[in-house]
This record gives sequence, structure tokens and C-alpha cells, in this order.
Amino acid sequence: MTEAPGGQRESSLEDLYERAPCGYVSTTPDGVIIRINDTLLSWVGYERSELDGTPLSRLLSPGNQIFYETRYLPRLRLSGEVREVALSLLTADGRIFPVLLNSRVVTDSAGEPIAIRSAVFDSSERHDYERQLLAAQRLAEESESRVRVLQAASSAFGSAHTDVALAEALEASTREALAASSCAVLVLGEDGRARLLAGTNPLDRYLASGASRPEIEAIRQASTIMISNLDEIRSTMPALASALESARVEAMSVVPLLDATDQPQGALICFFGRARSLDSHDRQLQTALAQQATQVLTRIRLQGELQQLALHDQLTGLANRVLLREQLVAALGAESSADRSVALIFLDLDGFKSINDNLGHPTGDSVLKWVARQLASVVRVHDLVGRFGGDEFVVICSDVNVDAALHIAERIRSAVQQPVDGVPEGYPISASIGVALSSPGTRDSITPEELFRLADTAMYEAKTGGGNRILTVSA
Amino acid sequence: MPMEATEATEATVRSIPAGAALRRNNVHVSGNPNGRPLVFAHGFGCSQEVWRHVTPYFADDYKIVVFDLVGAGASDLSAYDRGKYDSLHGYADDLLEIMDELDLHDAVYIGHSVSSMVGVLASNHRAERFGALVLVGPSARYTNAPGYVGGFTEDDIDAMLDTLDSNYLGWSAQMAPAMIGNPDRPELGEELTANFCSTDPSIARHFARVTFLSDNRRDLAAVTLPTLVLQCTDDVIAPLPVGEFVHRSIQGSEMVVLTSTGHCPNLADPAQLAREIRNYLA
Repeated sequence: MTEAPGGQRESSLEDLYERAPCGYVSTTPDGVIIRINDTLLSWVGYERSELDGTPLSRLLSPGNQIFYETRYLPRLRLSGEVREVALSLLTADGRIFPVLLNSRVVTDSAGEPIAIRSAVFDSSERHDYERQLLAAQRLAEESESRVRVLQAASSAFGSAHTDVALAEALEASTREALAASSCAVLVLGEDGRARLLAGTNPLDRYLASGASRPEIEAIRQASTIMISNLDEIRSTMPALASALESARVEAMSVVPLLDATDQPQGALICFFGRARSLDSHDRQLQTALAQQATQVLTRIRLQGELQQLALHDQLTGLANRVLLREQLVAALGAESSADRSVALIFLDLDGFKSINDNLGHPTGDSVLKWVARQLASVVRVHDLVGRFGGDEFVVICSDVNVDAALHIAERIRSAVQQPVDGVPEGYPISASIGVALSSPGTRDSITPEELFRLADTAMYEAKTGGGNRILTVSA
Repeated sequence: MPMEATEATEATVRSIPAGAALRRNNVHVSGNPNGRPLVFAHGFGCSQEVWRHVTPYFADDYKIVVFDLVGAGASDLSAYDRGKYDSLHGYADDLLEIMDELDLHDAVYIGHSVSSMVGVLASNHRAERFGALVLVGPSARYTNAPGYVGGFTEDDIDAMLDTLDSNYLGWSAQMAPAMIGNPDRPELGEELTANFCSTDPSIARHFARVTFLSDNRRDLAAVTLPTLVLQCTDDVIAPLPVGEFVHRSIQGSEMVVLTSTGHCPNLADPAQLAREIRNYLA
């Protein structure tokens, strides 16, 4: 039998070990190097004497050491073997040398671990490729998560019909998107005060009222405020720092809700349980969520205004015919006890035409507004006052009896008769009033239109009888 | 005593049904039911399995409670709320719920690695169920700061997250079947032993961030419980000066330097770890 060339060398186990095409390293169960082969030594560029007896983790970068100690070693100790662990070795001249590691625990006859053997593979080539893959994967994940968050938020915002529902959707989306321990949504009311519409503001409990607050500052300055850690503010805002500490908050970020004209409408606040400086991705996300929600908030408010316009008289702000009819239908349809009725009080001003013709429309308009205020001041809280058209007004009183209805009508007659500021003497105003009452207990039998007609007829008779009087009719 | 009980009830918002925390955190109780309770909490990257060679040393005379942090081991992954667990307070609140549900008194809390700070936060928040703290390889802050050496820079932490991700590239296929496991089936807890480091990659990444970017230095001063700091030799995660800082900052604490090297004495030398804890409690 002829020996193949190199056969003798290939029978040397030591040579097979030392110059294998992969690195070999053996350590104690604690990870201290016992033996290392030539291949691995040449990769990392150390002398054997420099590595014998030192922990393998010394060959790793700090970031890798964490992984090695917290994941690789525990897993190896519990399961006896790990495969294809990606780590980066630090070479003697400071270069990074990426490797894959297969490791196995060697045990004695009693099953006690005596050593760890590892095969080490050079993965520099696939390392670069993996880095690119990782970077691409993270970028894709990041933009995917951003799109997903914004899409989900957009559909949640879209189905909100009130500012509270919108604020709740904004709070929930933001808390999840930014992993905030809590969020709060503040919205400015008509009085310019910020109200908490959704979420919780832990500062409310720990900060004295009137104290300077970042969310109010953010609204005032129409700009974002970020507090990354409490040390940042301890000397400048000690009260805030201690309030945040009591609330177990270490960081917070506030984004103002800016409308299309960059006017602040409120604020979106995130509270974090640890010191955090938001990266640009998170900052953009919070701003985008705030912006999207503010657009919807503007729409909801506009709808509210439109609804107000559609149901109210522009000059006096009183209910218009549409709303009056709606309310009358509702009042007639409502359950009620046998002795209660719905009263429709219909009034027409006496003397108004003369004011309008002689003193001008502006004076006429101011008289109509004055009458509207007078009416509102003498009816009961739940009565509805409306302007039917021209100088005709209507009051709907549900749940009344004859006496109460007459009492209200009388208060109206008396209130309208008062002198009006800015109207000279010789232009007296009064009201001709018709009161129509539904039959007690039989509300359903009369239609709104019939009740209107009855009240209108009664009013007309009061007018032809000389005005400034009340006529009552029961259905 | 009745006064204290009333206060405790008021301070606790019980929004979850009874026993929910025990299921959520895969809590296991063993040992001597009449013994003083020992609550073992695992560190970053692990599960309750890291205690399996330690707990037998206490089984005769202590009640033993082990659990998984939410996101780890056989905990209920669906309970992982990123907002709640964006700080260690979320884990601390879970610990208090577990102790409430088990109605523990005078408990010795043994927290490894990041869980040492979880115990500090929990007992600072509500101390009444705790009797003592044992902090194994604790660090109040892993990154360096002006006047403080934590051992790592933020770049190191980023590199660590890269390493986590690199390993998930290779592991994802291998680990997929294990990750589909049903957390409602406790018997799977045994099977998970081999794969105990497998977690959802996004949870692992988030937990790594929260662990290694937290700063709990201020919280140490508020600890009033008897505290033992167990420091390892040659621990790159929590080096000696870091352990000494914890020891110095907790008034009246004791510190013992273990001969076992690395960051996991519970796996490297469970006998020594158990001996030091027993000595301290004796």
C-alpha cells in the first residue's frame, strides 16, 4: 500500500488540531482559556503566553461581552451546547474579527462540567453582508412600524366624532407607538384653558396648581419640549423634578397640537419611566400623530360649528325652525304622567315694525337680540327658546300643566314690555302671545304641525284683540 | 398591624383577577410551605431556570418562589405592554402583585443582574412584604456617566444590540418552533429549558435597552431593608467598582465578593452562592 502525499502529516493529530481551517479554543467552565490552536492565535494576533489563563471574554468587544455573559454562557451551561453564535473578536492590533462559535460542555464521569470546547469559524465575509442585511432590516422594520402606527391611528382618528373620542384614540396610539408609561392629551377650550381630554397626567397629583408646567409652556411657545432626564432640570425646575420623581417619571416629551395655521390647540404629552432621549424616528412619530389628530380635531370642531349654524338662528343664536320642530317631536313623543302637557308658546312682537322702519335695521336687530336674551332669562332651564322668523318667537315647554304654562307666558309678556336700551321713547314693545297645550296624557294624538297651528291662531287672536296679551288654547 | 393592612389595600390598585400575576409570570412555589419565603428573580437574557441548581440548597427550610419576567421564559408574552415595560417600574409592579397574590411576609428577595434593581424599586415603592434584599451582581447603571464608571459606553450597548440581532438572524429559523409555544400550558416550561434564551427578538431588544440604559443610582439611597450585595470576581457586566458603588449607596448593606468568576454565579458556582445567602440569613 502506497502512502498518499501528505499522508504522514495528516496522521499527526496535533497538526490537524493546530492548523485546522477553523479556530479551536478550550476554556474552563468559567470561560478561562486552557488551550487555543495556532489558527485562532494567528487570527487574533496574540502570543499563546498572552492568552493562556485569561478569560475568553477578554477577546471580545464590550458589547459582545454583555451578550457572551448574559446569553451565551448561561445557555451553554444549561443546555450543554450552543451553535452558530455570532460574536466579534478583538484582535491584538484593535481590529474586529467576526466569528461564528459552536461550543460544547465537556463533563466528567459524574456529569460535572470540566471544560468548554469551541470551534471558531471566520465569518468576516458574511459579516459585512449581514451588517447590511441588518441595517436594511431595521430600516424596513422602522418604516413599516411607522406606517403601521400612522395607518392604525388614522383610521382610529377618522372614526372619532367627538373631541374626547379623538383624544382617547390619540392617547392610545401614542402610548403604544412610543412605549410611554403614560400619555395625556390636553385640548384648549373656548376659554383658552387646557383641559385633560384623555389619558392621565401624573403631574396633576404631585404639582401644586399654578406651578410652571412643561405642557403649558409647550402650548404657549407652540414648540416641542423634551426632558430626557431629571438631572437636566433639577437645578432649574426643582419643583417639577421632585414631582416627576414622586410620580416615578424620569423623562417626558410634549408636542403641541398645531392647527393648519400653526396655532396651538393643545398638547400631546408622553411620560417615560426611565431617562430617555427620543431618537429622530420617535420624535417624528409623536409629531406626526399630533399633527394628524389636530387635523381631525379641526374637522370635528368645524362640524360642531356647522351643526350649530344649521340648527340655530344666526342673529340671536336661538334655536331655528329645524331644531324647534325636532324638539317638539321629541317632547310630544316622550313618556309623561297623565296630568302633564307640552306647551307651545308662540309670540309676535307688537310695535317692532315701526322701530325697524323708522330707526333702521341695525336698531331692529339689536331689539331682536334683546328680546332673545329677555326670553332666555325668564323661561325654565329645560325650556327651548327659538326664533320662528321675523319678529316671531317660540318657546317649547315640556312637562307642564296649564297653570305653569300660563305662568311662564305671563313672565314673557312682562319681560318683553320693559324699556329697551338704545330705543327712544315713543317706540314701545310688547308681545302678543298664543299658548297651545297638548291634552294631558294624549300627546301622541296631536302632531307638531297641529300644535303650531293652534298656537299661531291663538297668537293671531291675541294680536287682533289689541296685543300685549295672552290667549290659551288646549288641543 | 390592621392599620397597615388597610393602607396596603388602598395603595394597591387590583385591576387584575386573583391569580393572574401568578399565571402571567409563570410563578412556581416549592420548598417548605411553612418556611420563610425566598423570591428568586432572574436577570437579563435568562429565565427562572438559572436558579435550578441554587434552589435545592434551600428547599428543606425555606418556601421557594421562582418566576419569569414578562417577556422571558414561559411568561405570558401577550402581557408584554411596551409602555409598561419601558422601565423597570413595570417589572417592579409585577413583583409586588406576585407577592400580594402569594400573601408573602418577611420575604427575602434574591435578584440577579437587572432584577436586583427591580427588587430595589419594588421595595422602595412598598416595603411591607419584604424582609431583606440579596442583590447578585447588581449594577445601578451600566453606562459611564460624569463621575461614575458603569463599565460601558452607549456605543457598547448599541454594539450589544447588534450582536443580539445578528444572532437572531441565525436563530430565527431554529427557534421558531419553540417560540410558538403556548404560554397557557405550564408543562411547556420544562421543554423550554433548552431554549430558555429564546424570546421574541423585538422584546429581547427592548428589554436590553431598558436594562442597560436604566439609571437607578438615586434609588439606592432610599433602600432601608437589610441588604446583601454579592459581587463576583472578574465580572465584566458588573465589575467590582460597580458593586462597591451599590454597597456604599445602600446604608447598612453588607458585601461579599464571591470567588466565582463571570456574571452568573447561580450557574458557575451555585453551592458558594447558596452558602453565602444562608450565612447572611442565619
